[in-house]
Amino acid sequence: MIGFETVASPVGLVIGLICGIVPLAAGIHYRRLRAGIGGFLACTLSGFACGFLGGLPMIALTYAVVLSYAYVNREDPFTSRAALSEVTFEVTRAEQFQRTMANLGKSLRASWKALVRNKAGFLGFLGLAFFAALTIFGPSLIEYEGQAHIERREPGARALVAAPSVEHPLGLDWKGRDVLSHMVHGGQRLIITSVEAGVIATLIAVTLGSAAGLLGGVVDQILSTIANFILTIPAFPLLLVLAAVVDFDSDFMLAVLFAVLNWPTLMRAVRAQVLSLRERDYVEAAVALDLGLWHIISREVFPNMVSYIAINLIFTVRIAMYSIVGLVFLGLVPLREPDWAVMIFTGRQQGVLFLPQAAGMLLSPIVAIALFQLSLVLFSRSLEEIFNPRLRSGL
Amino acid sequence: MSAITTQPAQPQPQVDVQTPNVLDFLRRLWRNYYVKVFIQGLITIWAVTTFTFFMIRQMPGSPVEAKIDELMTRQAMTYEEAYRATATLFNFDPDRPLHLQYFDFLSGLVRGDLGDSITKGGVSVTSIILRYLPWTLFCVGMALVISFSLGIVMGLAMGYWRGSWFDNLITTISSIISGIPDYIMALLIILIFGVQLQWFRIGDVRGGVDPNITPGFTFEYIASVFKYALLPMLIYVLSSIGTWTLSMKSSTISTLGEDYITVAKARGLSQRRILTDYVGRNAMLPLVTRLAISVGFVVGGSVIIEEMFQYPGLGRNLYIAISGRDYTTMQGIFLVITAAVVFSNILADLAIGWLDPRVRLGKQEES
Repeated sequence: MIGFETVASPVGLVIGLICGIVPLAAGIHYRRLRAGIGGFLACTLSGFACGFLGGLPMIALTYAVVLSYAYVNREDPFTSRAALSEVTFEVTRAEQFQRTMANLGKSLRASWKALVRNKAGFLGFLGLAFFAALTIFGPSLIEYEGQAHIERREPGARALVAAPSVEHPLGLDWKGRDVLSHMVHGGQRLIITSVEAGVIATLIAVTLGSAAGLLGGVVDQILSTIANFILTIPAFPLLLVLAAVVDFDSDFMLAVLFAVLNWPTLMRAVRAQVLSLRERDYVEAAVALDLGLWHIISREVFPNMVSYIAINLIFTVRIAMYSIVGLVFLGLVPLREPDWAVMIFTGRQQGVLFLPQAAGMLLSPIVAIALFQLSLVLFSRSLEEIFNPRLRSGL
Repeated sequence: MSAITTQPAQPQPQVDVQTPNVLDFLRRLWRNYYVKVFIQGLITIWAVTTFTFFMIRQMPGSPVEAKIDELMTRQAMTYEEAYRATATLFNFDPDRPLHLQYFDFLSGLVRGDLGDSITKGGVSVTSIILRYLPWTLFCVGMALVISFSLGIVMGLAMGYWRGSWFDNLITTISSIISGIPDYIMALLIILIFGVQLQWFRIGDVRGGVDPNITPGFTFEYIASVFKYALLPMLIYVLSSIGTWTLSMKSSTISTLGEDYITVAKARGLSQRRILTDYVGRNAMLPLVTRLAISVGFVVGGSVIIEEMFQYPGLGRNLYIAISGRDYTTMQGIFLVITAAVVFSNILADLAIGWLDPRVRLGKQEES
């Protein structure tokens, strides 16, 4: 929460540049200059955007990709030119590390290919990337206008709202402030709160769903009863009531509240899937081989559910954004500017909804929310291919 | 049971014979699938109602304070005046202990009495619900029927001729409109067609019916009702039709892979017969369940859409009750919504058993 609310900063750029040295050096070392430069750029960007939180994971990812181009698996008889007698099966730590990284890089490249191949999904990805860039890099380019500008009133005009002009590409709002600045500054909190809500709901659902499916018995019965109970409660009306009960000093509380009301659907699906996976032959084989609970969960059960969970995560993020904007629209949570939803709310409350020149002020947040939701839907289409190794054909 | 209690003079052995019979009867009743589901539903409704009862009373600000606030701002009263006006208006005592309020509510509920609205003096909650429920049922229910039937037909056609231009076009449109939230769509329609293009006057479509027309079973009145419901209905249809279409399409595609379709084709049946009797009926099964479940959500309507169009439905009244802290009205509307959800779930369960003999037989073996 704290790390992700940062916007692009010069310190982040320095962090990004330093982080970028690692894949660049790796690229030069393995003579894969293009991959190296690509990694350098990716690291710089993500470091610029999120500081250490973006830069450090990006080092690992880009390094893995660079390595996967150069790595030759000596254990693989098809790529190895060595005679069978020369092949050694003793693995050093470094080799083990390299192989893991190369495998990671390989699957990253495969996922990227799957993403690019699916046109609708890639379009959604581009949309999400646009919104990420808008909310992360935009604020450092465009200054936020919080004060009213009465002097901008057109002579003879009854309201301050104005249609788009060269000076203000999206027009002025009801206080004469630049709409573009509100668009740029107002999306981040809404998006982050929605994503937080989705992630928390998914975490609860997956944890409780696997617990119910794996443990069974009383635990299963209790959890299923609670889930059914929450499913019966009309979720959005109850959210309206709870929004008044809970004091929203932080958006995080709103996200938690949403998550508490919205985990049961996914939880029941995860439980059903765990129950059916438990009966599969390969899981039974793994149990028979005594591979350990952790191995079974992480290697046999989880990969089969990850695409489903990811799609549901995106779905939950959508519902969360729907609910949060709805709450703001009805004026039931404290309003804090800048925020896309607050723009719609004040637009309607100030009665500018019916002024033709207010289109810029109202349409901008509406279209932004619609496009963001649309990008999420499109992006979720390609997730199936990204996460399912059977669907993404090998390199 | 009453036979035993009213005749205490009965000799001892007869009671012994009778009691197991009653218990046996109850046990057999419980084993009956439908009775069991029905009782479970009632328990769920009770639990949800209790939960919402206490949740609602945790909301900051009581109806009294909300009304005082409103009077002070709207009619420029002083606090003292507003307080006195409110105290005479309300028959609600905020100092009464919570558990006593709860028992009052429960005893009223058993008698079918939901109490009086707190903010609207002398109006019973039941009358509020009965007055506004038809509007929501009409508007949302109609939209549900339209979007379901259109979605079924289009999805069937798309699944049967998949890969055609029609399929691609509708799939794209469906995924786009199903991705946009309903109130965003409503705002877009108002802004583009109402404000910019001026196809309709926005003031004309607010409310449920033209206030100048006297209510009655006349053509004019009914036409006005339809006219005012048109825009909300359009938005409900647009926001739900994409999901119906896409699910019907995928259901159709999976049905087409079944052996009995191949057999039907091999028998040389006409395409129309295959499409309606073999593919359509089977592909519809999973959607019928979901239709029955959606029926439950009809009652709640959409708070935001109804508030946006000032449509006199249950959802808008719930919003008004929440803002005014009208506990009893909120409670009543929540009860209706919950009951609708629970019973439509039961209905879905029964419908699928009735429509699909495979499920019916499986259930009988189970019990």
